[in-house]
Amino acid sequence: MTRSSIIIDLAEANIKDKRLPGDLAMWFFILAELTVFAIFFIGFAISEQLNPAMFSQGKDHLHPIAGLINTIALITSSFFVAFALRAMHKEQVKKSVLRLFFAKVFGTIYLAVKIWEYLSLFEQGISIETNTFFTLYFLITAFHLMHVLLGMVILVFIAHSIGQKKYTKNHNSGFEAGASYWHMVDLLWIILFPLIYVI
Amino acid sequence: MQKTKAINILISSWMLLILLSVIAIFLPTFIDNNNLYILSALMIVMIKGQQIVDVFMDLNNAPKLWRCLFLAYIVLLPIIIAGIYLM
Repeated sequence: MTRSSIIIDLAEANIKDKRLPGDLAMWFFILAELTVFAIFFIGFAISEQLNPAMFSQGKDHLHPIAGLINTIALITSSFFVAFALRAMHKEQVKKSVLRLFFAKVFGTIYLAVKIWEYLSLFEQGISIETNTFFTLYFLITAFHLMHVLLGMVILVFIAHSIGQKKYTKNHNSGFEAGASYWHMVDLLWIILFPLIYVI
Repeated sequence: MQKTKAINILISSWMLLILLSVIAIFLPTFIDNNNLYILSALMIVMIKGQQIVDVFMDLNNAPKLWRCLFLAYIVLLPIIIAGIYLM
């Protein structure tokens, strides 16, 4: 075997190892979702430039610490989902279910904080019709919240499927697709949070 | 051995993401210049995005095209937003 053929074999092996986790359809769906949110984010930034005073006053009503708690909750939840998937790759079913449970706990913390934020704004008499800032704030965050809710349903479904032994070490593309969706929710939040709460 | 390394990378990535999130919220106390503050916050978004794409989503081990698509999103979107704010 010559040196060049070894190099070609290694390159081919490397290409074969490169694998997209989960289903291809889910990745196209994720790309579509990211595009929709990108339009929202750009629209928000342009609106802020058109009316900086209104947006600055609007941001004063928000709670950056609540936003930080939500950021930590989503990142930690996403971490536990990735950690659960690693356990499934080693066929450690119990560990995988336990880690998914923690992921759902942190997802629930996010939901609770978000609902508290909405209620505290409503108590101040602020609603989606107050001004452009709050229209965009409620639209973008509620749209994201819907994705979190869907992600939570997917996590419950994955845990149920693990219980029914539908996933194995080598056959877990449904788990990987659901995990990728949950990470997308996290990815969107890390852009949404500084844009709406911090900058 | 390799799987333990993968888990260590995952844990390190999680810790980095938490640390950057805390730094981002306290940026105004460190930086007075508004433009520098916006650029720093968006730079943090890029680093966090890269960690989620490569480590959590595991696109580091995916075909290059998909990884590049997602990394492009996490780099280009903050650049566009920075452009709008700094115009």
